[in-house]
Amino acid sequence: MDPSEVEFLAEKEFVKIIPNFSLDKIYLIGGDLGPFNPGLPVDVPVWLALNLKQRQKCRILPLEWMDVEKLEEIRELERKEDAFTPAPSSYYMELTKLLLNHASDNIPKADEIRTLVKDIWDTRIAKLRLSADSFIRQQEAHAQVTQIMGINHKAVRFISYQQEIQA
Amino acid sequence: MSDALSEDGSDINQDDSQEDVMTPAELIAKLEEAWLNEKFSPELLENKSEVVECVMEQLTHMEANLQRVKKGDAKAGFHRMEIDRIRYVLSSYLRSRLQKIEKFFPHVLESEKSRAEGQPSLLSPEEFAFAKEYYANTETYLKAVALKRMPPNLQTVDMLKAVPEPCLDSFVFLRVKERQENMLIEPETEEQRDFVVDLEEGSQHLMRYRTIAPLVLSGAVQLI
Repeated sequence: MDPSEVEFLAEKEFVKIIPNFSLDKIYLIGGDLGPFNPGLPVDVPVWLALNLKQRQKCRILPLEWMDVEKLEEIRELERKEDAFTPAPSSYYMELTKLLLNHASDNIPKADEIRTLVKDIWDTRIAKLRLSADSFIRQQEAHAQVTQIMGINHKAVRFISYQQEIQA
Repeated sequence: MSDALSEDGSDINQDDSQEDVMTPAELIAKLEEAWLNEKFSPELLENKSEVVECVMEQLTHMEANLQRVKKGDAKAGFHRMEIDRIRYVLSSYLRSRLQKIEKFFPHVLESEKSRAEGQPSLLSPEEFAFAKEYYANTETYLKAVALKRMPPNLQTVDMLKAVPEPCLDSFVFLRVKERQENMLIEPETEEQRDFVVDLEEGSQHLMRYRTIAPLVLSGAVQLI
């Protein structure tokens, strides 16, 4: 699965927006959205939020975990523990990239958030390398990987290929 | 303005077999599940033609509605984007299957032939026709390019032996949808012993495809 497909899946997650237009409820095949009223928050999938934002029809509200203190806590926890800790969200890396690239004006302390998320990512990738390495060396048959998601799987596959070639 | 587009949300899909009535949202979720499973599975999975047909119906229905609505309608844009996304998933799913059919064509045809009555089929009628044509074309090609110049007793090729089988021992990531107890994991090396794991609902695992293949078919796990 390539990164753009992971992004495709990440875009299904919901985010709150504040529209500046009004529209009654829309009935998409995948579910109902709206109604949209100027100034009132509404939940929409990220793919729609980004489109509206680009057409300057809304403001995107930061996700609950996109907060400097929360992310600092998560980063510290991740660095302390050897095992994986729960990630901020299933697609934290992809969502950070998407939302900060298109809506950084709506998200306070965007740069700090970007750095924090990157730190968390780096720590997790390092742990992944270690565990993928030991998985292959010890020829394990099974691993429980509940805490890793999305782009991390691709990283594991990639690391595994590298290891297998070296081994 | 009457919302020509609003009828579809309340449409309920009913297909011909014994499947329960599904909402469109559930149908799309099923399509995405099938897409992910097909992408990550090393072998060709059961064909989900009911899902594919229902999704195509929904898409054509929605497109027809969009034709009727006047241009510049705000909602049309949203619907169109959603249609594009669904269309992408559908195409990717079908492409995945075709790639595997091309890769494993003799084995796929063999499985289809030896399938018992009443068992769900591996290939849709179109895919079956495609596989047979591919087989015939490959045979003709091999004959024309090399085989006819070989000594007479070497002029046939056993496709089943010539084309590699899918590697069912590849590792896959999966998420557990229905709790499974006492899954037997076979050892990789001689020093290890068999051990069992319980698969908790919602947990994710990495293991050999062969171990969990029946669970993918039954829908108890989702490949990710």
